[in-house]
Order: sequence, then C-alpha cells, then structure tokens
Amino acid sequence: MLWAQVINACLGIWLMASPAVFGHEGIGRTTELIIGPLATTFAIIALWEVTRSVGKVNIILGLWLMIGPVVSLGYGHIAPVINDFVVGVTMIALARTRVSVEGRFGGGWSSLWRDAAGDRMGT
Amino acid sequence: MARQEYNRDRVELVEPFQRSRLIPPGWDKNPSSWSERLPIVGLALIGFMIAAYLALYQWRVLDTVWEPFFGEGSRIILNSRISHILPIPDAALGAFGYLLDAVTGLVGGRRRWRTMPWMVVIFGLAVGPLGIVSVALVIFQPVLFDAWCTLCLASALVSILMVGPAADEVLASLQYFKRERARGNSMWRAFWGLS
Repeated sequence: MLWAQVINACLGIWLMASPAVFGHEGIGRTTELIIGPLATTFAIIALWEVTRSVGKVNIILGLWLMIGPVVSLGYGHIAPVINDFVVGVTMIALARTRVSVEGRFGGGWSSLWRDAAGDRMGT
Repeated sequence: MARQEYNRDRVELVEPFQRSRLIPPGWDKNPSSWSERLPIVGLALIGFMIAAYLALYQWRVLDTVWEPFFGEGSRIILNSRISHILPIPDAALGAFGYLLDAVTGLVGGRRRWRTMPWMVVIFGLAVGPLGIVSVALVIFQPVLFDAWCTLCLASALVSILMVGPAADEVLASLQYFKRERARGNSMWRAFWGLS
C-alpha cells in the first residue's frame, strides 16, 4: 500500500528529529541519524511500482532499531529506547504489507537473472 | 485452407509485435514516452537550480545563503571540510550531476529504451549515484557537524524522487539486452542501438 510507504518515510524523518526532541547524544543519536535518512529514502523509492521491493529494506532497518539501542544502551534515557523500539516495530509491519503491483513490467527485475526459457515474446 | 488459418494466426501475432516497437514486451506502458520522462527532467532542473545556488555561495559569488529553519546550519555545512574534499565544492558537483540527469533524460526519441539503450544506461548511472551521494551527505550533516542545511535536504529529496521513475526505463533496456543475447545477437551492438 502506498500509505504504508508514506508513513515509513515520515517515520524516517521523525528519527532524524528524535535526537533533538529527546536531547540524547552518543551511539543512539548516531543510529537514528543514519537509519532515519535511509528509511525515508527507501520508502520514497518504493512509492513507484517498478521499485516497490526496495521498501522491504526497511524491515532490516526496523530490526536494527529494535535491537541496536537496547543492546548498546548508549542512551541513558529510557524514552528514546522505547521510541526507537516502537518506530522499528511499526516500520517492519508497514514494510511487510503486501502490495499489489498493477502495471506489468516484462517480469520485472528478477527476469534479468531468470532463465531465458520463459521469454516467449522474444521479438 | 490450412494456409489461411496460418495467416489469421499471423495477423493476431503482428499486432502485439507492432505495439512492442513502442511498448516493451510484457509491459503495458512505454517507459521512454515523454509523459514518463519530462517530469524527471523537470525534477532534475529544480535540483540543478538549488545546487547551482548553493555552489554560487560556496564560490562566494553570493555572500549569504538562505536558511529559514536551522540558523547557522547551512553556513556550517556548506563551509565544512566534507563539502570541500574535492577541488570543486560539492554543490557544484551536484549541479553538474543534475544537468547530466536532465540532458540524458531528454536525448533520444520515444523508443530509446531499444534504439538508444546506451543513453538510458548513462541516465540511470547519473540518477542512481547522485541519489546515493545525496543521502550520504544528509547522514554526514548532523553526525559530523551537528547541523542541518535546508536547501541541501531539499536537493537530496529531489534526487531521491527521481530514482523510482527513472528505474523503469533502465529495466526495459536491460530486458532488451537480455532478449538480444537470448537470440544470439551481440549485446555490444544492442547497447549502441545497432541491432
């Protein structure tokens, strides 16, 4: 669904703002400032049908958000850890939403490394 | 009688063949049509104007830079060592990248995914890395310098918005290379639009 990617893009921007909102430093801040822009980027690219699968990368980024801050304990505050965990869970759920691709793209990117036998329209 | 049936079958086969001169096989739109390409060119020109403005500040043709939200942010970022790691300031490089996007987006006709694939490939190579560099710079801004630059963020957004729409044309050209190779034709000739 498009709205899922739109929300993920907004979550990425929220992560970019989080260090200023919660006022924390160190590894937690760096994590948010790296994952935020990346998540927004992948979500925006996934708005187009032909690059929709790029949005799945946010599953990995979401896992990083869930686990990273808890393990590193670089925060010293509980609020940003909870924030990152909730954002991570939401991001994973939204990145996993099943999307229907309406347009046809000649088998898509996977057709490039699939066997040519399925290529009936060779002309 | 058998011959007539054969011809009737052929007629049905001819129609998709002719459509495929514009629309790639297995697609339902032509990724090289102007309605697909001109919006990307428009975005590239917006990006060019933003980057050129920032470059003019970095070259001190302009004395000040517009920054509505982050105070000294733009000045800190645009004068940082990352911005001047190359002989020319990074915004000038960005402006060149956007110009390359616009030019390679414009050159070629409505069938260029197969008549001029090399141009489509250069277009894709221009759009993709520009997006990657933009995002990398967005990460560097706050992590290294604890500052944000509004127009740098706007420029990054523009470059990311171009990736999705540009990708379908690249895909059509790559699929065309694969079909040509499957038919035993030279991919080199296909790349230059000679087959």
